[in-house]
Amino acid sequence: MNAIGLQLNDRGPRMDYLQILSILGLMAISVAFVYSATSVNELASEVVWFKQSYFKQIIWFSIGLSAASAVCTVDYHSLTRWSMVAYGLTVASLVLVLVVGRSVYGAKRWIDLGSFQFQPSEFAKLAFIMAQASFLSRPIDELRSTRIFWKSIGMMALPFLLIMKEPDLGSALVLLPTGLVMLYAAGTPRRYILQLLGAAGLLAFLFMAEVLYAPPKFRIHMQEYQVRRLLVYFGRNYADYFGPNAAEGERKKFQEQQFNDSHNVRQALIAVGSGGLLGKGWRQGQQNALGFLPQAGKHNDFIFSVIAEEKGFVGSVVVITLYAVILFSGIRIAGQARDRLGKLLAVGVVTLIFSHVFINIGMNIRMMPVTGVPLPLLSYGGSSVLGSLIAMGILQNIHMYRKAY
Amino acid sequence: MLIFDELRKDDPQLRFIAGVVLLGLLILVGGLWWVQLISSRHFQEKLETQSIRTIRIPAIRGKILDREGRVLAENRPTYNINLYVEGLSKNFQAAYAERVKQLKKIMAAKRAERRQQLGRDLTKLELKEFAVTESMKNTLQRECRTEVARSATADLSARLQQPVAFDEKKFQTKFDKARVLPIPVLDNISPAQLARFEEQSASIPGLDLEVQSTRYYPHGNLGAHLIGYLVHNNDNTEDETGDYNYRLADYLGQVGIEGIFDKELRGTAGQKFVVVNYLGYRQSESVFAPSQTGQNVVLTIDYDIQRAAETALFKSQANVKGAVVVMDAQNGDILAMASAPSFDLNHRIHPDPATKAAEDQRWLDEDIGLQRNRATYENYHPGSIFKIVVAMAGLELHAFDPKAVFHSDGYIMVGKRKIGDTAHAGDFDFDRALAKSSNPYFINLGLQPGVLEKVVNLGQKLHLGERTDIMPAQETRGNFPNPRIVESDAWRDGDTANLSIGQGYIDVTPIQMAVMTAAVANGGKVFWPRVVARVENSDGSGGMEAKPVGHIRDYLGVSARTFRILHEAMLKDTESKEGTGHAAAVAGWRVAGKTGTAQVEKNGHVDKSAQNTWFVSFAPYTPDYKAKYVVVATVEGGVSGGATCAPIAHDIYLALQERETRLEQQQVKSRTSLATLK
Repeated sequence: MNAIGLQLNDRGPRMDYLQILSILGLMAISVAFVYSATSVNELASEVVWFKQSYFKQIIWFSIGLSAASAVCTVDYHSLTRWSMVAYGLTVASLVLVLVVGRSVYGAKRWIDLGSFQFQPSEFAKLAFIMAQASFLSRPIDELRSTRIFWKSIGMMALPFLLIMKEPDLGSALVLLPTGLVMLYAAGTPRRYILQLLGAAGLLAFLFMAEVLYAPPKFRIHMQEYQVRRLLVYFGRNYADYFGPNAAEGERKKFQEQQFNDSHNVRQALIAVGSGGLLGKGWRQGQQNALGFLPQAGKHNDFIFSVIAEEKGFVGSVVVITLYAVILFSGIRIAGQARDRLGKLLAVGVVTLIFSHVFINIGMNIRMMPVTGVPLPLLSYGGSSVLGSLIAMGILQNIHMYRKAY
Repeated sequence: MLIFDELRKDDPQLRFIAGVVLLGLLILVGGLWWVQLISSRHFQEKLETQSIRTIRIPAIRGKILDREGRVLAENRPTYNINLYVEGLSKNFQAAYAERVKQLKKIMAAKRAERRQQLGRDLTKLELKEFAVTESMKNTLQRECRTEVARSATADLSARLQQPVAFDEKKFQTKFDKARVLPIPVLDNISPAQLARFEEQSASIPGLDLEVQSTRYYPHGNLGAHLIGYLVHNNDNTEDETGDYNYRLADYLGQVGIEGIFDKELRGTAGQKFVVVNYLGYRQSESVFAPSQTGQNVVLTIDYDIQRAAETALFKSQANVKGAVVVMDAQNGDILAMASAPSFDLNHRIHPDPATKAAEDQRWLDEDIGLQRNRATYENYHPGSIFKIVVAMAGLELHAFDPKAVFHSDGYIMVGKRKIGDTAHAGDFDFDRALAKSSNPYFINLGLQPGVLEKVVNLGQKLHLGERTDIMPAQETRGNFPNPRIVESDAWRDGDTANLSIGQGYIDVTPIQMAVMTAAVANGGKVFWPRVVARVENSDGSGGMEAKPVGHIRDYLGVSARTFRILHEAMLKDTESKEGTGHAAAVAGWRVAGKTGTAQVEKNGHVDKSAQNTWFVSFAPYTPDYKAKYVVVATVEGGVSGGATCAPIAHDIYLALQERETRLEQQQVKSRTSLATLK
């Protein structure tokens, strides 16, 4: 029994302080390294201090903390009563973004709201978790029904397809493990899940093989840049793929194109690798300062590269440890939840965060293909910060209203 | 512990989830271990390769000095104003952002216009027409950069209060190929411009001064052929193995001492590292290996004598073509080597725009033959000065009596050919014949039995027809018959006659004539002539002799009697009023000399306007072969040896006398200072 924060009903501390400490740690790291990543440009162009990125990040953190606290004021049951409404709203906003969204490099992911941008997919993930948890917290026996099973899959497929259409492969991808793990944790018969996985896996494998190796006549139509991303990840030669009979000059052009496309990953790798054990020091990273890391990405998608370059292996492990604390305390919260709803909500949040962490850090060290998935709490960006903090708020909420011993 | 607690839970699903999360995080840590610890070196190298450029820095060139250490070639700082694009990159970006915004507005307006025209929305294909393409953006970028650079140049112009040209093409090329290096805007600015730039420079972005070391020849065209000049060349020298991204301008010695001793003069190039950012702009730099200054080359030349020789040579006639060699008779050191016409060495590297066109034309003119070092690289018939050798041959063989009188009709018939004479008809003994340079006398002598063979033998001892190695690759060996040719049936009396008066099958260079005269002066020692005394380090230490002093190549093996008679005759040439060389006489020294005029054939017949005139001499005469100086002068198309070349020698002997006085004073000084030390 913990003596800190003893309440009248003697349940132990109301907040999971370990998790909160880790969250605060990550927030501090985020501000420090967003500063490092952006100060090179912003100081140079003399942006006034309250418009600089690190300051904006602090504002977002404050807003996020308030939202998280607000989430914690009511029992999560009250929240999930609105889950289907939230789900519907976010699906609507996903459709909206496809229509009126701002097009950035051919992708429509944000809705411009004047002084800030709103990214529906971040909130759609949370709404999905809540709706799915609410849906699956029915009696376990009902889950044997295939109709329920497919309804649940449908609930996952809808936002998945809408997000894919933006196109935002990464955000769509994280929905899949989240949904599937929630199905598993709810008690769906394992064979349903395994069969689905098997079929999907086979399809994915065939699809990949087809995209990468089929001769030009039989290729499925995909956006060219998506194909290129896959080629880069799997290390296939552009020249062989796009123009097997091309002349020498054409081949060279493809090589250049390939070089340019793999630029981000290559630079991220160099940044991470050259950090060594202890890194080069805060704000001393050369890949950062010299501009080799992608300007547009180094403070969000590639923020990990900046941390890895400047604080080395030690820094990377510290970051991973902080995430580990959040994830495992989340699992503990799931175990101590009062009911299946709470357990499912916690499991969903944990899987969501884990997927983000795994894909993003994996992307920085070329273990995963490049997808635009932010690193929760560390990446710069209002929607990501808000989404992550609200998710953490939900975890704390479940913790607060947990089983009384 | 938190993690292991979760793994030991009762709930199998949570256990599974905890396991997956743990496994995932361990995979990430493993990957990071591989990338950050095991492959760290590899990535650090990649970082350096993409962000570091190596630049080769040429060393400061060594100096060329005369025998007393006076500078003949050195380096001087020149100031250039350069454009440093990394300082302007902000301006580039700002200008570009502006232009792109404007362009997009224009495109949007055009789209709206078209939509109005058609009355409907545009299709994707039609939209493409109004798209801002990559290539448009690239063109815009180039234009913006050029504009910013141009305006920076204009700014500079205003501050210096003089027009500064902006070469757009050069800017583009330099930016594309080597933006890490500064782009030159104004080269070699004057002190006034330097002052103006410095006082205004506080707020000029992107422009800065660079100090460069430039080759400078303080005496312009003095000894131009001997010293040589430089051309642009950035290649690695033979023993350099470095591979560089960029090379700063470097030079290669061409001809002359600059060329022959280029390896010693140029030193060792240095290296510096420049850190660049992803756009290729320079961020910072550090010197990896400093360059090492080249060694100095000390010549045997005496600046005062060289100056006197060139002044006298250029004074002798208008547009003179010829050469002068002044040699130390006792060891073969060359005190002066002059060749006319000459050119300004400084203009080779830094042409004067006012005279560049004219000088370039002159440089290539075959007729003028500006580039040839006439002291070493031109074939001349020696003419009458070769009679010295004929005389020696005759005297050695006792083939004639020097006191005997020979009657000349002013010409001589050799076979069917009539050979004329500059000396008039009359009676000649040996002294007079030499002094007045009588052709019939010497042709007659040359035709005596055995004389021809002895002449050839002496010529071989003097190594005529062979190089003296004074300037490798810039010397001609001349022509001289060898015994086989002379004994063959092809050799006729006419050839012997010609040879006896220094025409026909004989060509020499002024250097060879100097060696010959020295051998006559010093009692028969034929020296290897020397123009480089030693090579030493730039601080004066570690001098190494390039060639030994007084290196004897051969001996004439001629008797004292021969020398005595010859010397007397040569003295008469200068001292007596009848002597053709009397213009060379100076007060205080006895000068012994011989004039010469050689006919030159052009297109098959004799061209009187192109005859080679000569004067060879030595002084001050002493009966014990201790004369110190040899002066040889030749002028193409001169009036005569006595009228054109002897006055040159006169001026030079005056300068040599001053030199002797100076050397004596120095010796006295050093002796007295030693004495006071004691």
